[in-house]
Amino acid sequence: MSAALEPTPRPDAPIASANGVGKIYRDEAGRERVILRDVTFAVRKGETVAVLGPSGCGKSTLLRILIGLIPPTSGSVEQHGKPLTGIHPGAAVVFQNFALFPWLSVEENVRVGLNGRPMPLAEAEEKIAAAIERVGLTGVERAFPKELSGGMKQRVGIARALVGGPELLCMDEPFSALDVLTAEALRAEVYRLWSDGASGLSSILIITHLIEEAVYLGDRVVVMGANPGGIRQEIVNTLPHPRSYRHPEFLKMVEKIHDIVAGVHLPDEQAASTSFVGRGPCGPVRPVPAAPSSEILGLLEVLSDHGGERDLFELDSETAYEFGHTIAVVKAAEMLGFVDTPGDLVRITDLGREMVAATVPERKVLFRRRLLTLGIFAELVKFLATEPDAPRRGEEVRAFLSEKLPGQAIMDLFRTLVGWGRYGQLFDYDARADELGLFAGRETED
Amino acid sequence: MGLPERGGEASDRQRPSLLVDLTLTACLFALVAGMIALAQRWEAPIREAVAIDLSPRALPGYTLLSLSRGFAAYILSLAFTLVYGTIAAHSRRAEKIMIPLLDIGQGIPVLGFLPGLVLGMVALFPRTNVGLELACILMIFTGQVWNMVFSFYGSLRAVPEELKEVARIHRFGWWKTFKTVEVSGAVIGLVWNSMMSMAGGWFFLTVNEAFTLGDRDFRLPGVGSYMAVAIEKGDTSAMVWAIVAMTLMILAVDQLLWKPLVAWSQRFRLEEIGGSEPPRSWVLDLVRRSWFARRMRQARREVEEAAARPAAKLRAARPPVSATGGHALRVALLGALGLAAGTGAVLGASKLVFMLAAVTAGEWRLLAASLGATFLRTAGALMLGALWCVPAGILIGRSPKWSRRLQPVVQIVASFPAPMLFPIVTGVLLALKVPFSVIAAVLMLLGAQWYVLFNVLAGASAIPHDLEEASETYEVRGFARWRKLYLPSVFPYLVTGLITAAGGAWNASIVAETLTYKGQRLEAFGLGSMITRATQQANFPLLAAGVLTMSAALILLNRTVWRPLYRLAESRYALNR
Repeated sequence: MSAALEPTPRPDAPIASANGVGKIYRDEAGRERVILRDVTFAVRKGETVAVLGPSGCGKSTLLRILIGLIPPTSGSVEQHGKPLTGIHPGAAVVFQNFALFPWLSVEENVRVGLNGRPMPLAEAEEKIAAAIERVGLTGVERAFPKELSGGMKQRVGIARALVGGPELLCMDEPFSALDVLTAEALRAEVYRLWSDGASGLSSILIITHLIEEAVYLGDRVVVMGANPGGIRQEIVNTLPHPRSYRHPEFLKMVEKIHDIVAGVHLPDEQAASTSFVGRGPCGPVRPVPAAPSSEILGLLEVLSDHGGERDLFELDSETAYEFGHTIAVVKAAEMLGFVDTPGDLVRITDLGREMVAATVPERKVLFRRRLLTLGIFAELVKFLATEPDAPRRGEEVRAFLSEKLPGQAIMDLFRTLVGWGRYGQLFDYDARADELGLFAGRETED
Repeated sequence: MGLPERGGEASDRQRPSLLVDLTLTACLFALVAGMIALAQRWEAPIREAVAIDLSPRALPGYTLLSLSRGFAAYILSLAFTLVYGTIAAHSRRAEKIMIPLLDIGQGIPVLGFLPGLVLGMVALFPRTNVGLELACILMIFTGQVWNMVFSFYGSLRAVPEELKEVARIHRFGWWKTFKTVEVSGAVIGLVWNSMMSMAGGWFFLTVNEAFTLGDRDFRLPGVGSYMAVAIEKGDTSAMVWAIVAMTLMILAVDQLLWKPLVAWSQRFRLEEIGGSEPPRSWVLDLVRRSWFARRMRQARREVEEAAARPAAKLRAARPPVSATGGHALRVALLGALGLAAGTGAVLGASKLVFMLAAVTAGEWRLLAASLGATFLRTAGALMLGALWCVPAGILIGRSPKWSRRLQPVVQIVASFPAPMLFPIVTGVLLALKVPFSVIAAVLMLLGAQWYVLFNVLAGASAIPHDLEEASETYEVRGFARWRKLYLPSVFPYLVTGLITAAGGAWNASIVAETLTYKGQRLEAFGLGSMITRATQQANFPLLAAGVLTMSAALILLNRTVWRPLYRLAESRYALNR
């Protein structure tokens, strides 16, 4: 950082902080969607902070608000104790998808990091060469990004971020577009760059959905949840550096955060399995997680193959889904009464076993019965049944849904409901006409 | 005339109501009416028409003159594109008006505006040819600009959000953002569309350089007017010479300008293209190796070095312009602009109403009937075009070898201005005893068919290989494979091609439905010939009514036929779902 651009720092004030920040987006139909609600958060000098959360919890939005890329709807943002105007002067960002200019060479891309900082050409060249060397790109200065592998591209992204000597390095899921081995290598290098102090880097803010990554890099792990996005818990990670994935203390910390994340995302559902024969009473009207019926069935198959239960995080690492998605599938199965989740365990219920053992048509009947125990499906069927012969326009149905469940991503919800309803032969949906009706081809036997 | 791939893009994103279109069209016409009125008030001096020398020796000079007009128009198009596209892509409010306006501009018969434009320009520069030159350049411009703007606007909208964020984090100024983030991402599309635009701009050259308005003859020296005079006099050898000159010019521009530019633009490609050979150009290779290029690179480095010196960078410390102040200024400016445009539109519209009042009921009935005739003619022309272009496009597109060989040839042929071929085609068909009202349809097709062929060809070469293999495995062969695989796969492309071709055919009707061949005046009943006759007789009310009728018909057809068809193609037959 050049001294000219740096504000007079208050020694104790955090580098960047958000105070009671909220963010609301409006979709095309004018419906409001709460991305973040009342988030208070700070990054201080010399610390590394990992923000952990599933997709859609607003963690990337929080990063962008913190450095001034997008304004918050409510609350305030400060840098060094002063209100933030424009872009944070001491921050640099490494993006998930690299965000390199395809038409600039590696060297020119790194030079972008020095933009707006007047200095003699020779000095600039020196800094660029040093940054390129530090991330191990020497020799490919004149190559274009399209010639490089993903790992190399992200090295360019890191060099560009470091070349200006930022005090805060922000990384938005920096390794998630890379394969496992490359990600591992780069993570270790980032850690080394931060710990050896040569780059002048003071603080790191990393956004991630991987618990191991958060524990490896973060001195503080901030767990976020979705709907609405917000901070659920902060954990101070006192493990000594350098950290090793195999160390028992490391594993213990991962375990601890697993439990917290599970508590945040899977509060024990009211077991819907008390009356699994017949229709049963309708539950409250709640949104359903975006999990396709095929994946719910897949989960049941996996569980039954493994003696009926699995650890949630084992499941997660096996599926290779994004972290939040595994949770969504489990949660959906739980809402339908196919699994229970005592603690970290996912356990198949009798109903779930029945489902696995059933033939294809039987499964559909079972699935349909379970759907009708969900408040939102009961409401939707009632809505469609007011005119049983005429299908409703999708727009009407979505308006109905957003009235019942305000603040939701309606299109996603609609898609999931239609998917489940189609599988259970409850609905007919004509995608071309965008029309939803009750399934017509079935005897009304249940 | 729009580029196939780009045409539907903006219209797809935006679905403006018919009301917006009608309002905008009314404003546009009002503007033209105002211009015509202005022209009428000025007493234009009687001018000698430039004599055109029909000897082949005069041709190189004429060709260069025409070429320079094309380039002047192109530079204008480029400047317009950069400004218009940037504003439309950056301001949500402006976008709501600017994109539908562009859509209309692309569709309306611009040739109908030529008289007003010429009169206005000549009135502005009564003593010299400047006005006429400007009018000609502006007309070529209207044949070039549309798809360039659509392409640029589309590219700007497609810039990844993260790249914009990088620019903001690293404090790019507006110029650097424009250059590094926006224009760089648009270069490939822009170069490709420039090539198409240049070709499109030549289309009406024979009319733009030589046209009659009432008893006045406006003529500029050029290859277009050379051709016009040759046709008038029935001088076949001069016609052939003009065609040769035009072909050579197109070939030269292609080799010396577009090929190098296309090869150069490859550095702006987002990803490495797998397998296929990147475009190359011998001219670019030569230039790159030249002494001049070395000097340029060196000079650039020196400039950069100078710019990087701390003293030159004082602006970095300059405080940013107050955001609210800038906003207020912009609002005030936009308001003033809107007010001025509004006043002009109201004045012009009243003028137009006044002018249209002079059109008799009988003339309106005639216009309606001629609209029907031209409608049938375009429909016939499009069907005829699809009939040969679909099978040919699929056959060529399915064979990588043939599509590689034929594509550049077709491209050159397509950029030849079809009206220059009208007399020859007409001569052949007249000898075969084909009535001129049918010949006119063929002439309309002559320029428009290439859009269909290009699109079908592109569609056929995009059919995934695994579908071909699946068809082979399940023994779907012969006609069944055409019906089940090829035709549905190219359908979206065919629709895009037909949309563009239809626009081209309607526009071409103005030059295709009337032709003077060997001193003999041929005329096919239709809206195009009505407009041409109104122009030649300087019957402004009828001209305005004719152009208005055609524009309304085009917009209506677009909304009721092409858009729904395009949507159907997108939702049912798109292969990328």
